[in-house]
Amino acid sequence: MKSYDVIVIGGGMMGTASAYYLTQEGMKVCLIERDDIAFGTVSHTDGYIGASEKEPGVDSMQGMASMKLYDEMRKTFDYDFEYSTNENGDPIGFVYFCESEFEMEMAKKQVAENQKLGIEQYMVSVQELRELEPNCATDLLGGMWVPKDAAVCPFKVPFAFVQEARKTGLLDVMTRTEVVDIIQDPNTKAVQGVVTDKGETINAPNIVNACGCWAPFIGAMVGMEIPIEPRFGQLTITEKAGKITQNRLCMEYGYFLTKFFHDGEGERPIPDLVKAYNVCLNITSDLTGNTVIGGCRLFRGFSIKSEYKIMQACAMRGIRFFPMVKDLNCIRAFGGIRPFCLDQLPIVSDVEEVPGFFMAAGHEGDGITLGPITGKLISQYVTGKPLEFELAHEIAWSRFKNKDIAALKAKEEANTRALQEIERKILARL
Amino acid sequence: MARLDDDMLVCRCEEVTVGEIREAIAQGAFDVVGVKRRTRAGMGLCQGRTCEKLVQQIISQELGVGPHETGSSSVRPPVRPISYGALAEGEF
Repeated sequence: MKSYDVIVIGGGMMGTASAYYLTQEGMKVCLIERDDIAFGTVSHTDGYIGASEKEPGVDSMQGMASMKLYDEMRKTFDYDFEYSTNENGDPIGFVYFCESEFEMEMAKKQVAENQKLGIEQYMVSVQELRELEPNCATDLLGGMWVPKDAAVCPFKVPFAFVQEARKTGLLDVMTRTEVVDIIQDPNTKAVQGVVTDKGETINAPNIVNACGCWAPFIGAMVGMEIPIEPRFGQLTITEKAGKITQNRLCMEYGYFLTKFFHDGEGERPIPDLVKAYNVCLNITSDLTGNTVIGGCRLFRGFSIKSEYKIMQACAMRGIRFFPMVKDLNCIRAFGGIRPFCLDQLPIVSDVEEVPGFFMAAGHEGDGITLGPITGKLISQYVTGKPLEFELAHEIAWSRFKNKDIAALKAKEEANTRALQEIERKILARL
Repeated sequence: MARLDDDMLVCRCEEVTVGEIREAIAQGAFDVVGVKRRTRAGMGLCQGRTCEKLVQQIISQELGVGPHETGSSSVRPPVRPISYGALAEGEF
Protein backbone atom coordinates (compact mmCIF):
# COMPACT_ATOMS: atom_id res chain seq x y z
CA MET A 1 0.00 0.00 0.00
CA LYS A 2 1.30 3.46 -0.92
CA SER A 3 2.14 5.87 1.89
CA TYR A 4 3.09 9.52 1.82
CA ASP A 5 3.63 12.39 4.24
CA VAL A 6 0.98 14.46 2.47
CA ILE A 7 -1.76 13.90 -0.11
CA VAL A 8 -2.66 17.05 -2.03
CA ILE A 9 -6.03 16.85 -3.77
CA GLY A 10 -6.30 19.13 -6.82
CA GLY A 11 -3.73 19.79 -9.55
CA GLY A 12 -4.48 23.48 -10.11
CA MET A 13 -2.71 26.54 -8.82
CA MET A 14 -3.18 25.89 -5.09
CA GLY A 15 -2.51 22.15 -5.25
CA THR A 16 0.67 22.37 -7.31
CA ALA A 17 1.96 25.32 -5.24
CA SER A 18 1.30 23.39 -2.03
CA ALA A 19 2.97 20.28 -3.46
CA TYR A 20 6.02 22.31 -4.49
CA TYR A 21 6.56 24.05 -1.14
CA LEU A 22 5.91 20.80 0.76
CA THR A 23 8.60 18.98 -1.22
CA GLN A 24 10.97 21.87 -0.44
CA GLU A 25 10.40 20.98 3.23
CA GLY A 26 11.38 17.39 2.55
CA MET A 27 7.84 16.03 2.57
CA LYS A 28 6.90 13.05 0.41
CA VAL A 29 3.85 14.20 -1.53
CA CYS A 30 1.20 12.52 -3.66
CA LEU A 31 -0.70 14.98 -5.87
CA ILE A 32 -4.06 13.60 -6.97
CA GLU A 33 -5.98 15.29 -9.78
CA ARG A 34 -9.30 14.23 -11.31
CA ASP A 35 -8.34 15.40 -14.83
CA ASP A 36 -4.94 16.85 -15.74
CA ILE A 37 -2.58 19.42 -14.21
CA ALA A 38 -3.84 22.99 -14.79
CA PHE A 39 -7.22 21.72 -15.93
CA GLY A 40 -9.78 23.86 -14.13
CA THR A 41 -9.93 27.51 -13.19
CA VAL A 42 -6.22 28.23 -13.77
CA SER A 43 -6.53 27.54 -17.50
CA HIS A 44 -9.60 29.77 -17.90
CA THR A 45 -8.25 33.10 -16.75
CA ASP A 46 -5.86 35.96 -17.45
CA GLY A 47 -2.43 35.96 -15.81
CA TYR A 48 -2.44 39.13 -13.74
CA ILE A 49 -0.38 39.01 -10.54
CA GLY A 50 -0.10 41.83 -8.04
CA ALA A 51 -1.29 43.50 -4.90
CA SER A 52 -3.47 46.31 -6.22
CA GLU A 53 -6.45 44.35 -7.50
CA LYS A 54 -7.56 43.58 -3.97
CA GLU A 55 -9.22 45.27 -1.07
CA PRO A 56 -6.65 47.11 1.03
CA GLY A 57 -5.80 45.01 4.08
CA VAL A 58 -5.24 41.27 4.43
CA ASP A 59 -6.18 40.83 0.79
CA SER A 60 -3.55 43.18 -0.63
CA MET A 61 -0.96 42.11 1.99
CA GLN A 62 -1.27 38.52 0.77
CA GLY A 63 -0.73 39.82 -2.74
CA MET A 64 2.48 41.57 -1.72
CA ALA A 65 3.79 38.48 0.07
CA SER A 66 3.06 36.34 -2.99
CA MET A 67 4.73 38.79 -5.37
CA LYS A 68 7.98 38.35 -3.40
CA LEU A 69 7.73 34.59 -3.90
CA TYR A 70 7.05 35.03 -7.64
CA ASP A 71 10.20 37.12 -7.80
CA GLU A 72 12.19 34.20 -6.31
CA MET A 73 10.49 31.71 -8.62
CA ARG A 74 11.26 33.58 -11.81
CA LYS A 75 14.92 33.71 -10.83
CA THR A 76 15.29 30.09 -9.73
CA PHE A 77 12.84 27.99 -11.79
CA ASP A 78 14.05 26.34 -15.00
CA TYR A 79 10.49 26.17 -16.34
CA ASP A 80 9.57 29.44 -18.06
CA PHE A 81 6.12 30.56 -16.93
CA GLU A 82 6.33 33.83 -18.91
CA TYR A 83 6.77 36.30 -16.07
CA SER A 84 6.70 39.56 -18.00
CA THR A 85 9.35 42.19 -17.39
CA ASN A 86 10.68 45.29 -19.13
CA GLU A 87 14.22 45.69 -20.51
CA ASN A 88 15.53 46.30 -16.95
CA GLY A 89 14.07 43.03 -15.73
CA ASP A 90 11.38 44.83 -13.71
CA PRO A 91 7.65 44.05 -13.74
CA ILE A 92 5.77 46.00 -16.39
CA GLY A 93 2.91 47.38 -14.34
CA PHE A 94 -0.79 47.76 -14.27
CA VAL A 95 -3.02 50.68 -15.26
CA TYR A 96 -6.59 51.40 -14.14
CA PHE A 97 -8.85 53.79 -16.07
CA CYS A 98 -11.37 56.10 -14.45
CA GLU A 99 -14.21 57.41 -16.56
CA SER A 100 -16.21 59.33 -13.95
CA GLU A 101 -15.58 61.66 -11.01
CA PHE A 102 -17.08 58.99 -8.76
CA GLU A 103 -14.43 56.51 -9.88
CA MET A 104 -11.66 59.11 -9.46
CA GLU A 105 -12.77 59.69 -5.86
CA MET A 106 -12.92 55.94 -5.11
CA ALA A 107 -9.49 55.46 -6.72
CA LYS A 108 -7.90 58.26 -4.66
CA LYS A 109 -9.09 56.60 -1.45
CA GLN A 110 -7.73 53.24 -2.56
CA VAL A 111 -4.35 54.70 -3.52
CA ALA A 112 -4.05 56.38 -0.11
CA GLU A 113 -4.88 53.14 1.72
CA ASN A 114 -2.58 50.95 -0.34
CA GLN A 115 0.31 53.43 -0.07
CA LYS A 116 -0.01 53.17 3.73
CA LEU A 117 0.45 49.39 3.35
CA GLY A 118 3.59 49.91 1.29
CA ILE A 119 2.14 49.15 -2.14
CA GLU A 120 3.55 51.40 -4.85
CA GLN A 121 0.42 52.84 -6.40
CA TYR A 122 -0.21 56.32 -7.81
CA MET A 123 -2.96 58.46 -9.29
CA VAL A 124 -2.14 59.56 -12.84
CA SER A 125 -3.49 62.50 -14.81
CA VAL A 126 -5.09 62.03 -18.18
CA GLN A 127 -1.82 63.19 -19.85
CA GLU A 128 0.21 60.63 -17.88
CA LEU A 129 -2.37 58.02 -18.74
CA ARG A 130 -1.91 58.74 -22.44
CA GLU A 131 1.85 58.35 -22.03
CA LEU A 132 1.44 55.04 -20.24
CA GLU A 133 -1.16 53.76 -22.71
CA PRO A 134 -0.99 55.61 -26.05
CA ASN A 135 -3.79 53.48 -27.54
CA CYS A 136 -6.39 54.26 -24.87
CA ALA A 137 -9.48 56.44 -25.40
CA THR A 138 -8.98 60.21 -25.22
CA ASP A 139 -11.98 61.11 -23.03
CA LEU A 140 -10.94 59.40 -19.79
CA LEU A 141 -10.48 61.40 -16.59
CA GLY A 142 -7.31 59.76 -15.33
CA GLY A 143 -6.42 56.60 -13.53
CA MET A 144 -4.17 54.63 -11.21
CA TRP A 145 -0.77 53.19 -12.01
CA VAL A 146 0.81 50.25 -10.17
CA PRO A 147 4.34 49.90 -11.53
CA LYS A 148 5.24 46.68 -9.66
CA ASP A 149 2.29 44.54 -10.72
CA ALA A 150 3.05 41.93 -13.35
CA ALA A 151 1.66 38.96 -15.23
CA VAL A 152 2.47 35.33 -15.97
CA CYS A 153 1.01 32.69 -18.25
CA PRO A 154 -1.50 31.34 -15.72
CA PHE A 155 -1.66 27.69 -16.80
CA LYS A 156 2.12 27.43 -17.04
CA VAL A 157 2.62 28.13 -13.34
CA PRO A 158 1.19 24.74 -12.21
CA PHE A 159 3.36 22.95 -14.78
CA ALA A 160 6.34 24.91 -13.43
CA PHE A 161 5.55 23.93 -9.83
CA VAL A 162 5.22 20.26 -10.80
CA GLN A 163 8.45 20.21 -12.78
CA GLU A 164 10.41 21.94 -10.01
CA ALA A 165 8.88 19.72 -7.31
CA ARG A 166 9.76 16.58 -9.27
CA LYS A 167 13.45 17.52 -9.08
CA THR A 168 13.36 16.68 -5.37
CA GLY A 169 12.28 13.12 -6.15
CA LEU A 170 9.59 13.53 -3.49
CA LEU A 171 6.54 14.10 -5.72
CA ASP A 172 4.24 11.52 -7.28
CA VAL A 173 1.50 12.83 -9.57
CA MET A 174 -1.68 10.86 -10.22
CA THR A 175 -3.82 12.46 -12.92
CA ARG A 176 -7.20 11.13 -14.11
CA THR A 177 -7.74 9.95 -10.56
CA GLU A 178 -10.65 11.03 -8.41
CA VAL A 179 -10.78 10.93 -4.64
CA VAL A 180 -14.05 9.28 -3.63
CA ASP A 181 -13.53 8.99 0.12
CA ILE A 182 -11.32 10.16 2.94
CA ILE A 183 -10.42 7.73 5.70
CA GLN A 184 -10.52 9.07 9.25
CA ASP A 185 -9.80 7.72 12.70
CA PRO A 186 -13.30 7.05 14.10
CA ASN A 187 -12.41 8.56 17.46
CA THR A 188 -10.10 11.49 16.82
CA LYS A 189 -11.40 12.25 13.29
CA ALA A 190 -7.76 12.56 12.20
CA VAL A 191 -7.27 11.83 8.49
CA GLN A 192 -5.44 8.64 7.52
CA GLY A 193 -5.69 8.49 3.75
CA VAL A 194 -7.93 8.54 0.69
CA VAL A 195 -9.76 6.05 -1.49
CA THR A 196 -9.64 6.69 -5.24
CA ASP A 197 -12.16 5.92 -7.98
CA LYS A 198 -9.86 3.04 -8.99
CA GLY A 199 -10.55 1.48 -5.60
CA GLU A 200 -7.01 2.14 -4.41
CA THR A 201 -6.27 3.28 -0.86
CA ILE A 202 -3.42 5.76 -0.38
CA ASN A 203 -2.22 6.55 3.12
CA ALA A 204 -1.05 9.86 4.53
CA PRO A 205 -1.47 11.62 7.88
CA ASN A 206 -1.95 14.96 6.11
CA ILE A 207 -4.41 15.87 3.34
CA VAL A 208 -4.68 19.22 1.56
CA ASN A 209 -7.99 20.19 -0.03
CA ALA A 210 -6.95 22.37 -3.00
CA CYS A 211 -10.00 21.79 -5.17
CA GLY A 212 -11.14 25.37 -5.74
CA CYS A 213 -14.79 25.45 -6.84
CA TRP A 214 -14.98 21.73 -6.09
CA ALA A 215 -13.51 22.01 -2.56
CA PRO A 216 -16.95 21.72 -0.91
CA PHE A 217 -17.33 18.16 -2.32
CA ILE A 218 -14.02 17.07 -0.77
CA GLY A 219 -14.83 18.95 2.46
CA ALA A 220 -18.16 17.11 2.75
CA MET A 221 -16.20 13.83 2.97
CA VAL A 222 -14.86 14.93 6.36
CA GLY A 223 -18.10 16.59 7.47
CA MET A 224 -17.21 20.18 6.54
CA GLU A 225 -19.67 22.60 5.01
CA ILE A 226 -17.42 24.90 2.95
CA PRO A 227 -18.99 28.18 1.78
CA ILE A 228 -17.47 28.31 -1.73
CA GLU A 229 -19.58 28.81 -4.87
CA PRO A 230 -18.53 28.92 -8.53
CA ARG A 231 -18.54 32.49 -9.92
CA PHE A 232 -18.53 32.63 -13.70
CA GLY A 233 -16.28 34.77 -15.88
CA GLN A 234 -15.66 34.99 -19.60
CA LEU A 235 -12.75 36.27 -21.68
CA THR A 236 -12.14 36.76 -25.39
CA ILE A 237 -8.84 36.48 -27.27
CA THR A 238 -7.68 38.49 -30.26
CA GLU A 239 -5.61 37.29 -33.16
CA LYS A 240 -1.88 38.06 -32.83
CA ALA A 241 -1.64 41.81 -33.35
CA GLY A 242 1.27 42.92 -31.16
CA LYS A 243 1.01 45.22 -28.17
CA ILE A 244 -2.34 46.93 -27.80
CA THR A 245 -1.63 47.61 -24.13
CA GLN A 246 1.87 48.70 -23.11
CA ASN A 247 1.42 47.79 -19.45
CA ARG A 248 0.91 44.18 -18.55
CA LEU A 249 -2.73 44.69 -17.72
CA CYS A 250 -5.21 47.52 -18.04
CA MET A 251 -8.51 47.60 -16.30
CA GLU A 252 -11.36 49.97 -15.83
CA TYR A 253 -11.79 51.13 -12.26
CA GLY A 254 -15.32 49.78 -12.47
CA TYR A 255 -13.69 46.37 -11.91
CA PHE A 256 -13.87 46.99 -8.19
CA LEU A 257 -17.56 47.78 -8.49
CA THR A 258 -18.26 44.49 -10.27
CA LYS A 259 -16.01 42.47 -7.97
CA PHE A 260 -17.12 43.69 -4.59
CA PHE A 261 -20.64 44.74 -5.56
CA HIS A 262 -22.83 43.91 -8.50
CA ASP A 263 -22.85 46.94 -10.73
CA GLY A 264 -26.25 46.23 -12.27
CA GLU A 265 -27.77 49.34 -10.70
CA GLY A 266 -24.43 51.02 -10.09
CA GLU A 267 -22.59 54.17 -10.91
CA ARG A 268 -20.94 53.43 -14.25
CA PRO A 269 -22.19 55.19 -17.40
CA ILE A 270 -22.50 51.95 -19.36
CA PRO A 271 -24.70 50.32 -21.99
CA ASP A 272 -27.48 48.06 -20.69
CA LEU A 273 -25.88 44.94 -22.10
CA VAL A 274 -22.68 45.64 -20.14
CA LYS A 275 -24.78 46.21 -17.03
CA ALA A 276 -26.83 43.08 -17.47
CA TYR A 277 -23.76 40.85 -17.59
CA ASN A 278 -21.78 42.70 -14.90
CA VAL A 279 -18.98 43.21 -17.45
CA CYS A 280 -15.91 45.34 -16.81
CA LEU A 281 -12.90 45.74 -19.02
CA ASN A 282 -9.68 43.96 -18.36
CA ILE A 283 -7.32 43.89 -21.29
CA THR A 284 -3.84 42.49 -21.52
CA SER A 285 -1.47 42.01 -24.43
CA ASP A 286 0.39 38.77 -23.84
CA LEU A 287 3.98 37.91 -24.70
CA THR A 288 2.51 35.70 -27.43
CA GLY A 289 1.14 38.75 -29.30
CA ASN A 290 -2.48 37.92 -28.51
CA THR A 291 -4.58 40.25 -26.41
CA VAL A 292 -7.07 38.99 -23.84
CA ILE A 293 -10.21 41.10 -23.47
CA GLY A 294 -12.85 40.47 -20.83
CA GLY A 295 -14.48 39.98 -18.41
CA CYS A 296 -17.49 39.53 -16.17
CA ARG A 297 -18.71 38.21 -12.83
CA LEU A 298 -21.90 36.18 -12.81
CA PHE A 299 -23.37 33.12 -11.15
CA ARG A 300 -24.05 30.29 -13.60
CA GLY A 301 -23.59 27.18 -11.49
CA PHE A 302 -20.74 25.00 -12.74
CA SER A 303 -21.29 25.82 -16.43
CA ILE A 304 -18.29 27.27 -18.30
CA LYS A 305 -20.10 27.62 -21.60
CA SER A 306 -19.22 30.75 -23.60
CA GLU A 307 -22.11 33.16 -24.16
CA TYR A 308 -22.45 35.32 -27.30
CA LYS A 309 -24.11 38.24 -25.54
CA ILE A 310 -21.22 38.43 -23.08
CA MET A 311 -18.76 38.41 -25.99
CA GLN A 312 -20.70 41.34 -27.40
CA ALA A 313 -20.59 43.23 -24.09
CA CYS A 314 -16.83 42.55 -23.77
CA ALA A 315 -16.29 43.85 -27.32
CA MET A 316 -18.25 47.04 -26.47
CA ARG A 317 -16.17 47.58 -23.37
CA GLY A 318 -12.88 46.87 -25.18
CA ILE A 319 -13.66 49.38 -27.93
CA ARG A 320 -14.79 51.99 -25.41
CA PHE A 321 -11.35 52.06 -23.75
CA PHE A 322 -9.19 51.02 -26.74
CA PRO A 323 -10.93 52.19 -29.94
CA MET A 324 -8.46 50.33 -32.17
CA VAL A 325 -9.80 47.02 -30.83
CA LYS A 326 -12.74 47.51 -33.23
CA ASP A 327 -10.63 46.32 -36.16
CA LEU A 328 -9.04 43.33 -34.43
CA ASN A 329 -10.38 39.82 -34.89
CA CYS A 330 -11.66 37.74 -32.02
CA ILE A 331 -10.51 34.10 -32.34
CA ARG A 332 -11.91 32.57 -29.18
CA ALA A 333 -14.10 33.21 -26.17
CA PHE A 334 -13.93 31.03 -23.10
CA GLY A 335 -15.80 30.86 -19.85
CA GLY A 336 -14.47 29.70 -16.51
CA ILE A 337 -15.47 29.58 -12.87
CA ARG A 338 -13.81 31.21 -9.89
CA PRO A 339 -14.03 29.69 -6.41
CA PHE A 340 -15.99 32.42 -4.66
CA CYS A 341 -15.85 32.21 -0.89
CA LEU A 342 -18.90 33.83 0.61
CA ASP A 343 -16.92 36.29 2.76
CA GLN A 344 -14.61 37.09 -0.21
CA LEU A 345 -11.40 35.82 1.37
CA PRO A 346 -9.66 32.52 0.63
CA ILE A 347 -9.50 29.68 3.15
CA VAL A 348 -5.89 28.72 3.88
CA SER A 349 -5.13 26.85 7.11
CA ASP A 350 -5.45 23.68 9.13
CA VAL A 351 -8.87 22.50 10.29
CA GLU A 352 -9.06 22.10 14.06
CA GLU A 353 -11.97 19.63 14.03
CA VAL A 354 -10.28 17.33 11.48
CA PRO A 355 -6.62 16.80 12.49
CA GLY A 356 -4.31 16.50 9.49
CA PHE A 357 -6.76 18.16 7.10
CA PHE A 358 -5.81 21.46 5.45
CA MET A 359 -7.68 23.96 3.28
CA ALA A 360 -6.21 25.84 0.31
CA ALA A 361 -9.21 27.07 -1.68
CA GLY A 362 -11.59 29.95 -2.31
CA HIS A 363 -9.28 32.47 -4.03
CA GLU A 364 -11.93 33.97 -6.28
CA GLY A 365 -10.23 35.95 -9.03
CA ASP A 366 -6.93 36.15 -7.11
CA GLY A 367 -5.63 32.62 -7.43
CA ILE A 368 -2.85 33.37 -9.91
CA THR A 369 -1.43 36.01 -7.61
CA LEU A 370 -1.97 34.05 -4.41
CA GLY A 371 -0.79 30.57 -5.45
CA PRO A 372 2.77 30.90 -4.12
CA ILE A 373 1.91 32.42 -0.71
CA THR A 374 -0.85 29.83 -0.27
CA GLY A 375 1.51 26.95 -1.07
CA LYS A 376 4.12 28.36 1.27
CA LEU A 377 1.61 28.79 4.13
CA ILE A 378 0.29 25.26 3.62
CA SER A 379 3.85 23.89 3.86
CA GLN A 380 4.29 25.79 7.14
CA TYR A 381 0.96 24.58 8.54
CA VAL A 382 1.76 20.96 7.66
CA THR A 383 5.30 21.01 9.04
CA GLY A 384 4.32 23.07 12.10
CA LYS A 385 6.82 25.79 11.27
CA PRO A 386 6.12 29.44 12.13
CA LEU A 387 3.76 31.07 9.64
CA GLU A 388 5.47 33.70 7.55
CA PHE A 389 2.32 35.77 7.05
CA GLU A 390 1.25 37.77 10.07
CA LEU A 391 -2.40 38.06 9.02
CA ALA A 392 -2.74 34.29 8.43
CA HIS A 393 -5.51 34.04 11.05
CA GLU A 394 -7.73 36.29 8.90
CA ILE A 395 -7.76 33.72 6.10
CA ALA A 396 -7.96 30.66 8.36
CA TRP A 397 -10.88 28.20 8.44
CA SER A 398 -11.35 29.03 12.14
CA ARG A 399 -12.95 32.36 11.17
CA PHE A 400 -16.12 30.40 10.35
CA LYS A 401 -16.21 28.73 13.76
CA ASN A 402 -19.14 30.63 15.22
CA LYS A 403 -20.70 31.56 11.91
CA ASP A 404 -23.93 30.07 10.66
CA ILE A 405 -22.79 28.87 7.24
CA ALA A 406 -26.29 27.84 6.21
CA ALA A 407 -27.47 31.41 6.88
CA LEU A 408 -24.49 32.82 4.94
CA LYS A 409 -25.41 30.58 2.02
CA ALA A 410 -29.10 31.51 2.18
CA LYS A 411 -28.16 35.18 2.11
CA GLU A 412 -25.88 34.61 -0.88
CA GLU A 413 -28.58 32.67 -2.70
CA ALA A 414 -31.05 35.50 -2.16
CA ASN A 415 -28.40 37.92 -3.43
CA THR A 416 -27.78 35.77 -6.53
CA ARG A 417 -31.50 35.62 -7.26
CA ALA A 418 -31.70 39.41 -6.97
CA LEU A 419 -28.79 39.77 -9.43
CA GLN A 420 -30.40 37.36 -11.86
CA GLU A 421 -33.56 39.44 -11.60
CA ILE A 422 -31.55 42.58 -12.49
CA GLU A 423 -30.05 40.72 -15.47
CA ARG A 424 -33.51 39.55 -16.57
CA LYS A 425 -35.07 43.02 -16.23
CA ILE A 426 -32.32 44.78 -18.16
CA LEU A 427 -32.37 42.16 -20.92
CA ALA A 428 -36.14 42.51 -21.16
CA ARG A 429 -35.64 46.24 -21.84
CA LEU A 430 -33.25 45.60 -24.74
CA MET B 1 1.63 5.12 -40.01
CA ALA B 2 5.34 5.95 -40.36
CA ARG B 3 6.94 7.66 -37.37
CA LEU B 4 7.00 11.42 -37.92
CA ASP B 5 10.24 13.40 -37.65
CA ASP B 6 10.63 15.39 -34.43
CA ASP B 7 11.31 18.64 -36.28
CA MET B 8 8.15 18.51 -38.40
CA LEU B 9 5.76 21.42 -37.76
CA VAL B 10 2.34 20.30 -36.55
CA CYS B 11 0.65 23.54 -35.47
CA ARG B 12 1.59 26.19 -38.00
CA CYS B 13 -0.20 29.03 -36.21
CA GLU B 14 1.83 28.58 -33.03
CA GLU B 15 4.84 26.85 -34.64
CA VAL B 16 4.76 23.68 -32.57
CA THR B 17 6.75 20.64 -33.71
CA VAL B 18 6.19 16.89 -33.39
CA GLY B 19 9.12 16.75 -30.95
CA GLU B 20 7.54 19.35 -28.65
CA ILE B 21 4.28 17.41 -28.64
CA ARG B 22 6.11 14.18 -27.79
CA GLU B 23 7.88 16.01 -24.96
CA ALA B 24 4.50 17.25 -23.63
CA ILE B 25 3.19 13.68 -23.67
CA ALA B 26 6.32 12.53 -21.82
CA GLN B 27 5.58 15.23 -19.24
CA GLY B 28 2.12 13.78 -18.62
CA ALA B 29 -0.23 15.09 -21.33
CA PHE B 30 -2.71 12.39 -22.33
CA ASP B 31 -5.15 14.28 -24.56
CA VAL B 32 -5.50 17.16 -27.03
CA VAL B 33 -6.28 19.69 -24.29
CA GLY B 34 -3.27 18.62 -22.22
CA VAL B 35 -0.97 18.92 -25.25
CA LYS B 36 -2.48 22.31 -26.05
CA ARG B 37 -1.85 23.74 -22.58
CA ARG B 38 1.72 22.48 -22.51
CA THR B 39 2.71 23.51 -26.06
CA ARG B 40 0.09 26.01 -27.37
CA ALA B 41 -0.69 23.64 -30.29
CA GLY B 42 -4.20 24.64 -31.40
CA MET B 43 -4.23 28.04 -29.67
CA GLY B 44 -3.61 30.11 -32.80
CA LEU B 45 -5.65 31.74 -35.51
CA CYS B 46 -7.16 28.50 -36.86
CA GLN B 47 -7.88 27.16 -33.35
CA GLY B 48 -6.62 23.69 -34.16
CA ARG B 49 -8.76 23.17 -37.25
CA THR B 50 -5.70 21.98 -39.15
CA CYS B 51 -3.49 20.37 -36.50
CA GLU B 52 -5.92 18.70 -34.11
CA LYS B 53 -6.15 15.49 -36.16
CA LEU B 54 -2.39 15.27 -36.29
CA VAL B 55 -2.05 15.92 -32.56
CA GLN B 56 -4.57 13.13 -31.96
CA GLN B 57 -2.52 10.78 -34.13
CA ILE B 58 0.70 11.56 -32.26
CA ILE B 59 -0.96 11.00 -28.87
CA SER B 60 -2.47 7.78 -30.18
CA GLN B 61 0.98 6.56 -31.36
CA GLU B 62 2.89 7.62 -28.26
CA LEU B 63 0.44 6.24 -25.71
CA GLY B 64 -0.86 3.29 -27.70
CA VAL B 65 -4.48 4.36 -27.29
CA GLY B 66 -7.27 4.54 -29.84
CA PRO B 67 -7.87 7.88 -31.61
CA HIS B 68 -11.22 8.28 -29.85
CA GLU B 69 -9.41 8.28 -26.48
CA THR B 70 -7.30 11.33 -27.35
CA GLY B 71 -10.09 13.87 -26.87
CA SER B 72 -10.55 17.13 -28.70
CA SER B 73 -10.33 20.81 -27.87
CA SER B 74 -13.36 22.39 -26.14
CA VAL B 75 -15.90 23.82 -28.58
CA ARG B 76 -15.84 27.60 -28.20
CA PRO B 77 -17.14 30.52 -30.26
CA PRO B 78 -16.62 32.25 -32.62
CA VAL B 79 -17.01 29.78 -35.48
CA ARG B 80 -14.54 31.86 -37.46
CA PRO B 81 -12.58 35.00 -36.57
CA ILE B 82 -14.85 38.04 -36.32
CA SER B 83 -13.87 41.67 -35.75
CA TYR B 84 -14.63 43.20 -32.36
CA GLY B 85 -16.43 45.98 -34.23
CA ALA B 86 -18.86 43.47 -35.72
CA LEU B 87 -19.17 41.68 -32.38
CA ALA B 88 -20.03 44.93 -30.56
CA GLU B 89 -22.75 45.57 -33.14
CA GLY B 90 -24.21 42.16 -32.42
CA GLU B 91 -23.42 40.83 -35.88
CA PHE B 92 -23.10 37.14 -35.11
